[in-house]
Amino acid sequence: MIDYSALLFDPVYAELGVPATLIAAGTAGQIELTVIDDTRSKIQTANGVEVRSVGPGAFARIPELTAKGIARADYANAAITFNGRTWAVRSYDVRGSPNGEDLGEVRFLLMANE
Amino acid sequence: MIDVRENILARLVAIVGTMPSIKQVFRNYVDLTEDQLPAAAVLDGDEDTDDVADKSMRPPERPTLTTMTPEIVIFKLAPQVGPDISMLRRELIKLVLYDTELNEQIVKTGRYGNGAIRYLGCQTDLGWERSMFGALKLNFHFKYALRPADL
Repeated sequence: MIDYSALLFDPVYAELGVPATLIAAGTAGQIELTVIDDTRSKIQTANGVEVRSVGPGAFARIPELTAKGIARADYANAAITFNGRTWAVRSYDVRGSPNGEDLGEVRFLLMANE
Repeated sequence: MIDVRENILARLVAIVGTMPSIKQVFRNYVDLTEDQLPAAAVLDGDEDTDDVADKSMRPPERPTLTTMTPEIVIFKLAPQVGPDISMLRRELIKLVLYDTELNEQIVKTGRYGNGAIRYLGCQTDLGWERSMFGALKLNFHFKYALRPADL
């Protein structure tokens, strides 16, 4: 079986990843991790009017989070800082992996803190 | 030239522009960016008469009662957008329904002053952008006289 973490995710994060800090309620303080900034343009349409903004997001590796004591239940409302901005995790997508979802990625769906 | 429809729409833009919590007001503009919010857009409404049912021999250039249903949409980004757009709704309904110029100078244009302003209701729209996105569309109904000779 191919080890997707070793052969895919780790090299990709080594190239595209940026350092981040995450503070999750109920855990022991701040952890350091590597994320891939996935902030995208986002257009919301209401009554025919388009409003342009961004949909902030970030990918992280679930094994790295787990190894640092961050369980899935801790994701929501965690504060995450990378690339000069701090966001709150409003939700997340588990991205899965051929090695199992616990060895895949999570995409944090973020929101501005204020 | 007196175009009551245009006067009403221009006045709505001016009214919304007096709201301190609205940063920018647009008319029939459909491409906004987040830094322009909180914003409002006045969208020209449909115009109708009841003349399709008029079986009389009334000359075509005689005045007729007309209705228009413009829309005002409010946009806001905020973590708790619900209370914010509710507050804007309250402000806007009062401003439109109590506006002296709309009531006395524009709408009551019929021979008997038989124009009217009605608030019909609102619809909300929600989504996520950098923060929670909320839109609120308010529907108004204006009745006024259309005088072809004035156009």
